Amino acid sequence: MITLRRSLLVVVGMLVTGVTVAYAQVPDAPPAEIPYLGNRTGVWIVAQLHILFAAFILGAPIFAVVSEWLGYKNQDPRYDRLAKEITKVTVILYSMTALTGGLFIFVLLATYPDFTTWFIRHFFLIFAVIYPLLFIAETIILYTYFYSWDALKGEKKGRHIALGVLLNIVGTTTLFVIDGPTSFMNSPAKAAEMPLIEYIQTAGLWDKVANYSWMPMNLHRLVGNVTFGGFIAGLIAAYMYMGSKSDEERAYYDWMGFVGNLIGVGALLLLPFMGYLFAYELCDYDASICPYMMADQLSMFFEMQGAMVGLIFLGSNYYIWLSMKRIQGVEQVRISGLVMLTVILMPAVMGFAWWKFPVPDPISLIFLGLLIVLPPLLSKLPGLRFTVSSFTMIKVGFLMIVVADAIWLTPHAFIATGAMEGEELPSWASELALMPAKNAAAFTLVYLTIVNYILYNRAIKRGTIIWGKIDFASQFVLIFLAFSVIWTMGLMGAVRSLTRKYFHVYNLVYDFTPESFTPTLRESGVWITVITLIFYAVVSFAIIVTLRAGDSKAHVAEASPVPAGAK
Amino acid sequence: MLKSIVKKGMIGVLVGVILVIVARLTHFPPMFQAMFFIYAILGAVVFILLDAPSMNRIEGGKAVVALVLFYVVLSGVYIAGASLWPQYDPEVEKGKIKKILKAKRAKTNLGKQEELIARAKALAERAKSITKQLNALGAGAQAASQGAPEVAFTMGAASGDLVALGKEQWDLQECYNCHKLFGIGGKKRGPKLDNIGNLMTPEELYEKILYPKRWMAEGFEKQYKKGKMPDKYRDLMEDSEVQALVAFLSTLRDTSVTTPKPIKMKLK
Repeated sequence: MITLRRSLLVVVGMLVTGVTVAYAQVPDAPPAEIPYLGNRTGVWIVAQLHILFAAFILGAPIFAVVSEWLGYKNQDPRYDRLAKEITKVTVILYSMTALTGGLFIFVLLATYPDFTTWFIRHFFLIFAVIYPLLFIAETIILYTYFYSWDALKGEKKGRHIALGVLLNIVGTTTLFVIDGPTSFMNSPAKAAEMPLIEYIQTAGLWDKVANYSWMPMNLHRLVGNVTFGGFIAGLIAAYMYMGSKSDEERAYYDWMGFVGNLIGVGALLLLPFMGYLFAYELCDYDASICPYMMADQLSMFFEMQGAMVGLIFLGSNYYIWLSMKRIQGVEQVRISGLVMLTVILMPAVMGFAWWKFPVPDPISLIFLGLLIVLPPLLSKLPGLRFTVSSFTMIKVGFLMIVVADAIWLTPHAFIATGAMEGEELPSWASELALMPAKNAAAFTLVYLTIVNYILYNRAIKRGTIIWGKIDFASQFVLIFLAFSVIWTMGLMGAVRSLTRKYFHVYNLVYDFTPESFTPTLRESGVWITVITLIFYAVVSFAIIVTLRAGDSKAHVAEASPVPAGAK
Repeated sequence: MLKSIVKKGMIGVLVGVILVIVARLTHFPPMFQAMFFIYAILGAVVFILLDAPSMNRIEGGKAVVALVLFYVVLSGVYIAGASLWPQYDPEVEKGKIKKILKAKRAKTNLGKQEELIARAKALAERAKSITKQLNALGAGAQAASQGAPEVAFTMGAASGDLVALGKEQWDLQECYNCHKLFGIGGKKRGPKLDNIGNLMTPEELYEKILYPKRWMAEGFEKQYKKGKMPDKYRDLMEDSEVQALVAFLSTLRDTSVTTPKPIKMKLK
């Protein structure tokens, strides 16, 4: 026995020595080179796909739990079905999130090994312990949430909803945790009068996580995820509506498309302000980021963003228009003409208010408050009780969407390569390029969208909705909205990464590779579109596989017109 | 229906033409005029869609084909949209980045490796050249004296015109984004610096660049409080680069431009 042990020891020792010697003789492999695409584009595609899937699996459960709760509260089985179907798709896409996440880390290690190992070491506790534990917890809770749906019914529904809430808490925590290293790359924590390199060596994990852009990124992504979840729900509804064989199915998916769009638009209204806060904090961190974003290489990216936001608002409001057209009795719905005047005057009035009393001066908010509150109050006075039809109001609203977006899109100048002077606004119109005008434009878009929903609510209270009879074009609108939102996310994801310029970690870790330059908007547009199409293909497949093949027995008859008050 | 489309289209074009004329008369450049015209056409398209008749249901294969076509159109529109905006030429930025990163890269292991390889190559070339000369001598021919082969690596920036190097740093670090100089650049984030050479010594300029909070420009209290001047240059710039920039700034003595008085700040 002793001889055997000694022999084994000798053998193991020889093996270890041999392996060590062999390993020591193996030279380091150079970083991988992704053919045709290049390393930067390869990482871009994988990272963006991962974020898109992650945004859905984090945003959809928020939407699903709220829907499930509404179904429970109102005893409306449509909400429960909606929540379950969204969760079904989420479960499938969860594996895609994990797959792209794993692929992301492998691609990073292969293409940027030095930086990636440095980065992992600095956030080891997050990458090796906290994040995996949260991921495991989320997996367990998500699968339990989905597979216990039918078991936890009736009196046990409250427990199921509580499980959904827990799922969202874990999901949101996961988002906040991973945003730590992500935001660190854009705005690494710093201390006054101390070199950045020195500070980072001594900073604790919390100091690195709680950097300038961490919380703004958290808020922006959280709201963005809900927006995304809503529009993807609309996409699901559009596909299923198109493939429906019966009136009951069409009625249900028509309703689902409306609810998805409502959630998406509702969260969308907050998104410009979250994005503004995010950009503001980045500029606060380092003022030179601002001109790079707004006045230099990325300025045209923001022009494209303005165009996308305009198209998304046009699409959302066009969907409301089509929704209203199928309500019987909508012609009788009217609104105060003063509200219409407010919509028309808002860009000018609020532009002036914010120019004269810049944020955070509260006087500008008084202007805004008066603009919102006065029209419905004044409309009760004799002589001011003139009204306009809902269709007139919506049409004027569309005109103002174009005007507001035109203001949003107007830059100070179009600066081409290398030139400091380009095509500039004439000096008398220079205020159009400044933040007061942009804020006024954003508020106008938000306000008139809210007005349109108020009109819609009035219409459904007084009239009769015929679910399942919406203009078929509305399904293409839902698909257009989902596509545009995904494309915009891809665009802004590129912008966030590019604000690091020629750094892996801004001002701290240089990127010495030849690809550390700003790509053209044209090239970026191509890759963003490719990523969007890949994502679309996977999501479309997931929807068709999970929902078309699924059991569609327990449906509520929805084809008959729903009278007023029945929601 | 067709009549309505044509009518709305004509109104859109008319409004667009009016906007272009007004824009031209009020000195908007051509790009803005084009955008105003596009907005008018977009408005016409929106109003055409608002009054469009309901679309009939399509199903089965037709729906799939319609969807695929829709995606193709959307993709094309968005790529075209991204392509139509003015584009930056990355080659210009690459040149700048190369200059900024040169010294940094040389300090890294990779940079040192590359320097060693370059030296080895240079030595190998030299050895070849000497061998050639010896062979030529051996054949009785006078070897033409060849100049020393070009050293593949540089010793760093030439010690020539420090002020010119400083001007280069001004461009590379993009100081013009916040400070107007010679009438170019700036967005009131920072003071005009045309006369800064008369107001600050080189030592004070050096301190301001590396520790922005130690000096404030009169009238720029808001920007100072917000920390608008980045404090990253002590991490990013080599000492020689800062010295060059200081040398350049010290030459700026145009008294016709009002450069605000610098105020030394007491830090807590």
